[in-house]
Amino acid sequence: MMFRLVKKTLVLAPILLAISFRYPFTHPYVVLLALVLVLVLITTGFGHSLHYMLPRKRNSEGGLLLQQDLHHPDPPDNDHPSPPSSLPLVSQHSNNPSQGYDVPVSGGGGSSNPTAAVSAPMGLAGEPNPVDIDEDLHSRQLAVYGRETMRRLFASNVLVSGMQGLGAEIAKNLILAGVKSVTLHDEGVVELWDLSSNFIFSEDDVGKNRALVSKPKLQDLNNAVVVSSLTTKLAKEQLSNFQAVVFTDIDLEKAIEFDDFCHTHQPPISFIKAEIRGLFGSVFCDFGPEFTVIDVDGEDPHTGIIASISNDNPALVSCVDDERLEFQDGDLVVFSEVHGMTELNDGKPRRIKNARPYSFILEEDTSGYNTYERGGIVTQVKLPKVLKFKLLKDALKDPGDFLLSDFSKFDRPPLLHLAFQALDKFLRDFGRYPVAGSENDAQSLISIATVMNDRTGDAKLEDINPKLLRHFAFGSRAILNPMAAMFGGIVGQEVVKACSGKFHPLFQFFYFDSLESLPTEIEDLSDFRPLNSRYDAQISVFGSKLQRKLEDARVFLVGSGALGCEFLKNLALMGVSCGHQGKLTVTDDDVIEKSNLSRQFLFRDWNIGQAKSTVAALAAKSINPHLNVEALQNRVGPETENVFDDDFWEKLNSVVNALDNVNARLYVDQRCLYFQKPLLESGTLGAKCNTQMVIPHLTENYGASRDPPEKQAPMCTVHSFPHNIDHCLTWARSEFEGLLEKTPAEVNAYLSNPSDYTKLMIKAGDAQARDTLEHVLECLDRERCENIEDCIAWARLRFEDYFANRVKQLIYTFPENATTSTGAPFWSAPKRFPHPLQFSASDPAHLHFVMSASILRAETFGISVPDWVKDFGKLALAVDEIIVPDFKPKKDVKIVTDEKATSLSSASVDDEAVIHVLIARLEQCRKNLTPGFRMKPIQFEKDDDTNYHMDLIAALANMRARNYSIPEVDKLKAKFIAGRIIPAIATSTAMATGLVCLELYKVVDGRHRLEDYRNTFANLALPLFSMAEPVPPKVIKHRDMSWTVWDRWVIKNNPTLRELLKWLQEKGLNAYSISCGSCLLFNSMFPKHKERMEKKVVDIAREVARLEVPHYRRHVDVVVACEDEEDNDVDVPMVSVYFR
Amino acid sequence: MSSPSKRREMDLMKLMLSDYKVEMINDGMQEFYVEFHGPKESPYQGGLWRIRVELPDAYPYKSPSIGFVNKIYHPNVDEMSGSVCLDVINQTWSPMFDLVNVFEVFLPQLLLYPNPSDPLNGEAAALMMRDKTAYEQRVKEYCEKYAKPEDVGAAEEGKSTDEEELSEDDYASSDEEVVGKADP
Repeated sequence: MMFRLVKKTLVLAPILLAISFRYPFTHPYVVLLALVLVLVLITTGFGHSLHYMLPRKRNSEGGLLLQQDLHHPDPPDNDHPSPPSSLPLVSQHSNNPSQGYDVPVSGGGGSSNPTAAVSAPMGLAGEPNPVDIDEDLHSRQLAVYGRETMRRLFASNVLVSGMQGLGAEIAKNLILAGVKSVTLHDEGVVELWDLSSNFIFSEDDVGKNRALVSKPKLQDLNNAVVVSSLTTKLAKEQLSNFQAVVFTDIDLEKAIEFDDFCHTHQPPISFIKAEIRGLFGSVFCDFGPEFTVIDVDGEDPHTGIIASISNDNPALVSCVDDERLEFQDGDLVVFSEVHGMTELNDGKPRRIKNARPYSFILEEDTSGYNTYERGGIVTQVKLPKVLKFKLLKDALKDPGDFLLSDFSKFDRPPLLHLAFQALDKFLRDFGRYPVAGSENDAQSLISIATVMNDRTGDAKLEDINPKLLRHFAFGSRAILNPMAAMFGGIVGQEVVKACSGKFHPLFQFFYFDSLESLPTEIEDLSDFRPLNSRYDAQISVFGSKLQRKLEDARVFLVGSGALGCEFLKNLALMGVSCGHQGKLTVTDDDVIEKSNLSRQFLFRDWNIGQAKSTVAALAAKSINPHLNVEALQNRVGPETENVFDDDFWEKLNSVVNALDNVNARLYVDQRCLYFQKPLLESGTLGAKCNTQMVIPHLTENYGASRDPPEKQAPMCTVHSFPHNIDHCLTWARSEFEGLLEKTPAEVNAYLSNPSDYTKLMIKAGDAQARDTLEHVLECLDRERCENIEDCIAWARLRFEDYFANRVKQLIYTFPENATTSTGAPFWSAPKRFPHPLQFSASDPAHLHFVMSASILRAETFGISVPDWVKDFGKLALAVDEIIVPDFKPKKDVKIVTDEKATSLSSASVDDEAVIHVLIARLEQCRKNLTPGFRMKPIQFEKDDDTNYHMDLIAALANMRARNYSIPEVDKLKAKFIAGRIIPAIATSTAMATGLVCLELYKVVDGRHRLEDYRNTFANLALPLFSMAEPVPPKVIKHRDMSWTVWDRWVIKNNPTLRELLKWLQEKGLNAYSISCGSCLLFNSMFPKHKERMEKKVVDIAREVARLEVPHYRRHVDVVVACEDEEDNDVDVPMVSVYFR
Repeated sequence: MSSPSKRREMDLMKLMLSDYKVEMINDGMQEFYVEFHGPKESPYQGGLWRIRVELPDAYPYKSPSIGFVNKIYHPNVDEMSGSVCLDVINQTWSPMFDLVNVFEVFLPQLLLYPNPSDPLNGEAAALMMRDKTAYEQRVKEYCEKYAKPEDVGAAEEGKSTDEEELSEDDYASSDEEVVGKADP
């Protein structure tokens, strides 16, 4: 095969993650917050970062035999409003590893209390060993956590106590994540109030024990997790069974007792207390006296390619200006592959400072070292970190730094710290929560807070903000769904951190409020009164007026994937579109796949293959039967504007995006802009999430700011000079497509209609047509396969071509010592000098390539694959039979350097002539084919582990990596990169939707100001919460007019082009270009456009832009580019030209 | 900076005001052709290329895609597809740049100072590094053979006959062009 530097038929598909997430690069707060965070971290445990121990792992012998041997002390005075536990129930089973999961234990073993009612774990029979990660199910989550963290999760037993809305959300996220077991604890029974926030309960469950009702429904989410329920009062000794315990409904006294026990337990048990009260929330974490964080941020270690290192003290290291370095001062780095100054290759971590985009200072005296020659890679070393948590009782008095979420509320956390303690006291004193709308209760709470504040000494607050405390008191009994979703995400993530050591824990208190979500008008206090409905909790916070508005809202939910499922649950619980006037339209053109199930919690494995929107809508209706939801399977875009027509859009109150790509977001944004509808936008990427509110006339639109486009590897790099595995994988994917999809498809196109096909090729007559024909001919002639041996031979020769011959040619053309015109070495960083591979049948990686390539080649020819091909021993024998011709480099380059040479190289030979020859040969081949012969093109499918697609791509990429001495990757990592798998976890998704729904209250109320809205960027890994007011739209002024992107100009009476121009002229605007869609209607530079002057604008649009105006629409919209009298460009609104 | 929706219009306008011959297909603004002359003081002098410009949906946030329609011998241009591996276009594009920059600065720079250390046409790069004279000779041969005014016209005809037939629309700048089959 001829060597080519460029594989020409293939348009390289760059490996791009479909951005599902927007970076907060415009956000000044983020930097600030990150800075604050770093400071906090430094002060809290930096000195210990060098000694660490691995997170504890505990064997779980003994399991969860909870009832036995526990003598309940008399319950302490418990004035908790929920009814006392009347059912001493415990669900038991053994999860002793020696018994495994194969036996569904239905009696809890002989040691259990025979009187205990037992609910056995269901559906466990036949489940695989839980330590084996189900990579199809968890692929998106694996991309965030990695295998090691997942294994730790699978070994963790977690207690979630308090199964109201928050407990249910936390348990859901943990069960989806796949811990070993979740024990649900609640002594109380389901109340009507729980239905505002708990997606598990229905009206029929009222009066039943919360944990018991929750258990089977949560178990459905993931059969690999052991879910059990516990309905009796907890004794602290029971906590020994868990690695992490979460309390969502516990008084302070008990919390302190449990935390003491957990903190001093050997090994320590991670203790989390989370509480949401109306629009206020708090989290407290205590992971023990010495907790090791293995990975503080979840980011891959940063790397750089070295360009030079000085002999100096300290040394200056500069890197190639290919990519900006992301090191920070104080980072530790290691060096490898340095030529010359080889002293640095010792693997010892070294500290750096003065980190710049392309250089840094190395704190090392290199003056005595060898001189740097070339090469070298510098890699950041991530060190574990030890955190020393304080006990709850100590932290209450001395809370340290609070994690801030909103700079406009920097004084809130200490106040909320006080408020939550005051509420605890109120509960103890009164035995109940403050009543919504009761000024007396609010006053009592304020008094308690005042007294407590006066006793706090130095930490005393100057202003306890009675107004805020009043709201706090009013809403304190209510668990709201959006708050539960948000905190369910946060707390779920903290549990994952506690169990795995992955990501930095919350240290230690976090307080949050969304007071701005309240309606703007001061409500009549009676409006808060319960109506004996499932929305009573929500009504107690927002009043029944807003509740009715929510129920009558007409909402468009775009997308029914991970975000969409969470949104549907939230909207159903909030009662959105649950009234007679209300309507929720959800659309998604996707069907359910296995990898969806680890986050998209409304789907079960029996739904695989069904339409997402339909299944999700049904599931949402079972959460709240009043939901008026219509599920569609249309992709939203220009092609479906007949479905989502003007009438549809005009009737909407608001639009919620639940999308996974930027283009669809931009489209919906444009539609919302056009129809002046609020757009609630959100996205996630791994542990990060963001939300953005687009409110007509108040904020800028989504498309007003753009994220930088994703980095794409340059073509030349991918073709010949890869320097990382991404480049190799991009190449591998494009080769896969060329070999298995494009060429077979071309072959079929030719065979289906030879005369048309060849005519087309002759007409094109260019180099690309010629290349395509060459490939088609190869497939049908020289390389045609008739049996599996042919396929194996083909695969073996591909190996030779890809990994030996091409490299030999390349280093023949550019020898290792080649220099550029300036005398600089050709092979300098970031380029890596390649070495050809010598095929060896004893190298499993080589055989793996041959195996997967021959199997897929056989598939394209419809040849069945005998089993022995998958046996490396037998395959090796077959491969050894194959005769591989010796390689001779193409010497064109040498020849033409000879001055006498006159002929042009083969590449520039007349393409048309070659095409004719090729066609003649093809016609010959065709005669020898069996009639009806077709090939089977193969489309890349990443999520099927048995189809050999990823095997081939990984093999292609790894062999190429081996050529260039680039570290190889395993199949899973290859799948993440080549399959463009977007890392995704349930926690950040849930959090994003909670935050959006807190904004939805404002949107539905409709009277909020800009400063009441919040956009959020959060990273649960750090953790970081950054909320800020949205950016207002840009105001443009011209003469005495002003407008924003939300405005539109209207011209009536079906004007001609001349009339439109004159109309603009009268505004002092000189239009030079008018367009409709992507078509020019008028441009002053084109003389021919002047002929259109007397035509009606709408007719020009119809003729030129081929615009079809729907019968009901009376206008066309045109974009005008114009200048003012001083020739300055003026950005004018879109102009609607009415013609009927 | 003006709003993205107007950028196509403004950029096109500026290009035409700078006397570039712009040729549109049915007045569409997503894809069009621009004539480009080889810069003086370079072996490409006297050559005339038809450059295909594609403005992606995300323009100007995303770079325009630039390709040579008729052949050119250049280390950074794929001989087969005509795609340009030009750093500033593909890698470091910023919405601050516009089409005039591409034709006034980036492309002339590319032709004046090829970068053989990042080759897309490896043969051209190797030749340029080894034997500058032979390389320049080859460039000129290619210009002679493929980059004459009639090549530009011929390429156009080959490409878009069907579309032209469908539309009686004006072809703004083609009137005065030499339309004829190139003699290969």
